[in-house]
Amino acid sequence: MEGRHVPYRPRWRMVYSAPMFSKSLTKRQLGLLLLAGGVLGFVAIVAIDVLDVGREGGIGPAQRIALGLMIGVALAGLTLIPLKGAPA
Amino acid sequence: MGESTLQSSSVLTPSWLSSVHRLLLMAALIILLGYLCVYVAYASNLIQFPFDYDQGEGFELVDTLLFSQGRWPYLDTEIYPFYSSNYPPLFHVMAAPFVWIFGPSYAYGRLLGFAGTLVTGGAIGCAVYRDGQHRLIALLSALAFLASNSIYHIGPLFRQHMTMVMFETLAVVVLAHANEIEDTGQRRRRLILGLALILAAGYTKQLAYATAIAALAFLFVRSPRRSVIYGAGFALAGAAIFLWINRSTDGQWWLQTISANVNTFYPDQTIGLFRLWFSLHGFLIVPAVLYVLYEFYFDRISIYALWWIAATTNAILSGKWGAGDSYFATTIAATCVLAGLFAARTLTGGWHFAANYLSRLLIDPLRRFSAPLARTGLILIPLLFIGYGRAVLHLPTDGPLFAPVAALLHITPNAHGTFYDSAREMDGSFSGGYADIGHLTTQADVEAGDRIVELIREADGPVLSEEAGFNLLAGKDVVTNPTQLLNLANNGLFEGAALLNMIETRAFELIVLRAQFYPVPILQAIGRRYRQSEAIEMNGFRYLILRPIDETMSLSR
Repeated sequence: MEGRHVPYRPRWRMVYSAPMFSKSLTKRQLGLLLLAGGVLGFVAIVAIDVLDVGREGGIGPAQRIALGLMIGVALAGLTLIPLKGAPA
Repeated sequence: MGESTLQSSSVLTPSWLSSVHRLLLMAALIILLGYLCVYVAYASNLIQFPFDYDQGEGFELVDTLLFSQGRWPYLDTEIYPFYSSNYPPLFHVMAAPFVWIFGPSYAYGRLLGFAGTLVTGGAIGCAVYRDGQHRLIALLSALAFLASNSIYHIGPLFRQHMTMVMFETLAVVVLAHANEIEDTGQRRRRLILGLALILAAGYTKQLAYATAIAALAFLFVRSPRRSVIYGAGFALAGAAIFLWINRSTDGQWWLQTISANVNTFYPDQTIGLFRLWFSLHGFLIVPAVLYVLYEFYFDRISIYALWWIAATTNAILSGKWGAGDSYFATTIAATCVLAGLFAARTLTGGWHFAANYLSRLLIDPLRRFSAPLARTGLILIPLLFIGYGRAVLHLPTDGPLFAPVAALLHITPNAHGTFYDSAREMDGSFSGGYADIGHLTTQADVEAGDRIVELIREADGPVLSEEAGFNLLAGKDVVTNPTQLLNLANNGLFEGAALLNMIETRAFELIVLRAQFYPVPILQAIGRRYRQSEAIEMNGFRYLILRPIDETMSLSR
């Protein structure tokens, strides 16, 4: 085998099974995900009215409920972030 | 210091307190077993009743008949007999073999629904026992599910909803500890089984998507890589079935089950039903919510907590036209699991609080009270189940078995003259969307149904009946599925020219109306061309019998 060049090939399986994705999420990671999801969801729901100029009547009751839920999700995320590395 | 307990099972308990605790637990058990008896009596009564009981049951039977003949029920509603289903197929496919043996009958569909609730109760009991290690609490949790007013009155119907809840509950119980299985093969089999059960739930009724979201979120929290792999497989399998059905029905599957299911949302109905849900199940909802919070901030988050959140959020859709209290069935199942786990943990002294900013703020000040709190728990936990038993009070008020019990409890009927339901006011009124059923049927109801069937049988031509069962028993074509026509019409997907033409030309010799759920133009045409000849009372509902208006009279109008 001496002198024979073996080119480096990243094994897909190693990449695909990267340890960080095999582990459980931490409370902090979950909190950040919920915070991001809540904020993005809130913006997306508001954007429905901003982008859809053909709609009338402003933010409807279903949208109001959805906005409330998004605020709740974001707040839940915020409260989880200080829990740091505890497994979620 | 990683974590500490708030209370301990080693707390010395006075013997009198243990006796009171056991006595109260027995009282809770007797109350909930009583509800099981009421439920079995109701189911037995309904299974023997040969006609529609809840509006639309007959159309579930038609779907089952079509599947038993190897035909899809997703049909073009512009063509005679203007019929289509708006529900996924699995429940009807499960019931189809019974058609080959017994012919058209409501009995087996109702039996399937009832059996499904018993399986769900069993799964709830198993989940609570597995994680809570308290047999009696596990039993109480299972019985609590069957004692719910909503589960009681929807359970034994020829409807797919409770079968969906059964598959959802089984899926969640199967997946709950799948990630912790060391053996790869066994873990894989468990995950595939759990996801297959969710797929089964989804193809029983669309509403199961919330459980799918909860399960995939749980897998993601525990192992993102695994959730992506299994989630992709799950999505592929679900999409392949979807595309196959859509292709086989020339797109009617998409039109009838998806496009037509976008209905008007009434926030007041949602608010009313949430209030009702809390007033009936509050004794279990409060501990369930506390348990969810405990898991989020002090322990690992279980699939049950995510399931409860998803199912409760999904219940907001109960405000849609055509929806109702059945939309709470999944969250009731999840509530029973979580309340059971809360109760078991309290009684076994299993609370462990991780050290964090919340435990320092909320838990540490209570530590010196841990012993009295543990003793209080011995009284409080059985009282939760007793309180729940009082809140969900429902009972037939007549008959040799129930009349004395009703008299003993000083209950007077507030529904259909023979039934008491705590979900209603004393004048019988109830929240919009709450199903107006639960009473037992009588021989007079059977005779009334026979009379309607006889009228239909006597008719020479086709008969338009708002309940399919009458036509089936009379050997006539089932023409239309009114609620589905309304769903389609509300979404601008139904023109109805051929049906309108049949009504305008008085092609139907008889029309039978109940809830008058047809689209407005259809009802207007009926009003122009038909006149009520009689009204027949069955199950407390009025069935209007309409006959064609004489042509000369019609012209003179």
